[in-house]
Amino acid sequence: MAPNSDWQEGNAKGEPGSSLHGVTGREPVFQMTMETVGEKEATDLKGRKFALPVDSEHKAKTVRLYSVAAPHMRTFHLSWIAFMICFFSTFAAPPLMPVIRDNLGLTKVDIGNAGIASVAGAVVSRLLMGTICDLVGPRYGCAILMMITAPAIFCMPLVSTPVGFILVRFFIGFCLATFVSCQFWMSSMFNSKIVGIANGTAAGWGNMGGGIVQLVMPLVFDIIRRDIGSEKFTAWRIAFFVPGVLQVMMGLLVLTLGQDLPDGNYAELKREGEKVNDSFQKVFLYAVTNYRTYIFALTYGYCFGVELTVDNIIAEYFYDRFDLNLQTAGIIASTFGLMNLFSRPLGGVLSDVVAARWGMRGRLWNLWIIQTVGGVLCIVLGLTGQLGPAIAVMLIFSFFVQAACGATFGVIPFISRRSLGIISGATGAGGNIGAVTTQGIFFMSSKYTTEDGIMLMGIMIVACTLPVIFVHFPQWGSMFCPPSKATEEDYYISEWSKEEQSNGLHHASMKFAENSKSERGRQSPPRSKEETVVVEGV
Amino acid sequence: MCSRLIARVDSVCTHPVPMKFSVAFVMTLMLASVSMAQASVLFSTLERTLVVEAKIKEQEISSGIALAGVSHLVISWHLNESFPVSVGDKYVNVKLRLCYAPVSQIDRGWRKTNDDLHKDKTCTKGIAQQKYIFSGNSTTWRVTKDVPGAVYFVRAYAVDAEGNQLAFGQTTDKAKTANLITVLPISGRTGNIDIAAAIFSAFSVVSLTGFLGLESMRSKRTSK
Repeated sequence: MAPNSDWQEGNAKGEPGSSLHGVTGREPVFQMTMETVGEKEATDLKGRKFALPVDSEHKAKTVRLYSVAAPHMRTFHLSWIAFMICFFSTFAAPPLMPVIRDNLGLTKVDIGNAGIASVAGAVVSRLLMGTICDLVGPRYGCAILMMITAPAIFCMPLVSTPVGFILVRFFIGFCLATFVSCQFWMSSMFNSKIVGIANGTAAGWGNMGGGIVQLVMPLVFDIIRRDIGSEKFTAWRIAFFVPGVLQVMMGLLVLTLGQDLPDGNYAELKREGEKVNDSFQKVFLYAVTNYRTYIFALTYGYCFGVELTVDNIIAEYFYDRFDLNLQTAGIIASTFGLMNLFSRPLGGVLSDVVAARWGMRGRLWNLWIIQTVGGVLCIVLGLTGQLGPAIAVMLIFSFFVQAACGATFGVIPFISRRSLGIISGATGAGGNIGAVTTQGIFFMSSKYTTEDGIMLMGIMIVACTLPVIFVHFPQWGSMFCPPSKATEEDYYISEWSKEEQSNGLHHASMKFAENSKSERGRQSPPRSKEETVVVEGV
Repeated sequence: MCSRLIARVDSVCTHPVPMKFSVAFVMTLMLASVSMAQASVLFSTLERTLVVEAKIKEQEISSGIALAGVSHLVISWHLNESFPVSVGDKYVNVKLRLCYAPVSQIDRGWRKTNDDLHKDKTCTKGIAQQKYIFSGNSTTWRVTKDVPGAVYFVRAYAVDAEGNQLAFGQTTDKAKTANLITVLPISGRTGNIDIAAAIFSAFSVVSLTGFLGLESMRSKRTSK
């Protein structure tokens, strides 16, 4: 087996950075030497045939959404449903806020603090989750996190003070780190050419949990009040058992049905395979000294962070400003999150489509345009005083803000090959930090009304997206500057010191550099054969 | 022009879904912006012609602490004698409401006072509605369990047949600082909820550790 093919299949098994390798970025393979499975039926360690066509690493080459075949599609569905349920639990309180704030005597500051707390915990947990997945595997990472945070959800029915409420939302928020395990798992199961769509779809459908919860919780609350006859202040507490039980059930399903890698679980494979370990300090250093990391952490804070913020405030906003009842406000608020069904995947797809013609410069423009339009629509939303137009504006705004999230992860895989895992984790954490900051400035005190807060948040989105202009890749250029004479190899080899290069550690990066030449756009030299993504069922 | 419009709509119908959605949005926008403007009553224009008194029944005091779900309020109202009886000619009903005192409105925008009574959120809890007679009436109301913990006063609105407010009366003064009632709320927690929460939490942690233990035992066995 040629030493190159390992890389071309998109595998860099065991190296940090490989954990989130190809996270939602489509990496078109430059040379078509992928072994097609047909000559020899691929089997896993136990000798069973795979249901999907696989590459030489046994990663799936297609995504069949209607299938639950083990291990690939089963993993896909387990993974995105687990992430969705965690989103559900984290944002279970906001749709019931009008009842909770009366029960606990909350002030606007308390509600603001709780909203911040709900997304702050994940800042740390997302950073740690990448390493945990590397060490014990995504199956354990995801299941352990879900089942450890479930008791926090069960504490919510017991809360009776504002401080208790804030603390409980903080601990529940830790489970948002399942985003990282979800993306890691997709990257282990799906070939690098389709991992972009697999990741984008899984992330988008997971984010939908923030929308579904706005529908389900008021409904459950209503059923408990009407059919069981509980008081309002008791009914919301009982309603919280729903996310808790769902999360425990899902954790158990992940443990029993999940599988770390196509060939089996980590424990089994560790005994047989070899793990190449990179130096954590080096990987960390290159992430921290790359200025693009910070720019994208900031911009992701103003697309995903805004999405988290809106998940927290939108139901209460419609309830208060337009005098709707809890169920109606919930239904309207849910449409925001439900747009994720297609808007986040589309953002990633748009990024790929634009890159085919204009390369990386196209991706950057695509991201900047989508996110800035989202910011403008946010300003308009704050200024809209009628119900019908407000709903319409919110829907269009949600599309753009979520597409911007997808588009961001179209660029991230190219920032660094060596430190991809940490950079992706930092970007995800940046999203949560953006949510914390935005809620802190605009939605905490009574200084701004909620509508003013939304309008100012829109202005901040536009301002914080401007740094994308400064992202410059020497080999591809930036939004306004053309590329210099540097090549992809120069850029990616600069992450390895002379000694490491002499030890041959940089080969994988070189293969990646070769593949990334597609980011030059259409004027790059014609390729002999180009594989297209096959996604069935989308 | 009409034929061009029809041709346009026709072409939209054959266009893909996103186009249809954008047309639907525009139409929603247009329809919604033609919203009916209702005549709004301003609180500052209402005259204080009613006299209202509220007492916590169990303690026979007009201001103090009431317990949600337990205490009763006895509210009595009548037309102020200094006004002629003819003032009440248009009054049809009297609506009694429980209103937040300013101290409970601080930092809580959802309880804000607005002069426009359509937008006013001061008096969101309804107590009772009675037919208007100049000699007045009274009612006994148990403080319901969904009343949040806060400081309140009672206000009576005299309304006409359509429900528009014509006059008012309240148990407190203009500054809303005298004669206030503090309600202590229920917690909403029950013993059953506490027990269920403990059981489910324990199940989650125990089943997780059990699973992990089982799997590590199994892998130790196979590696030997």
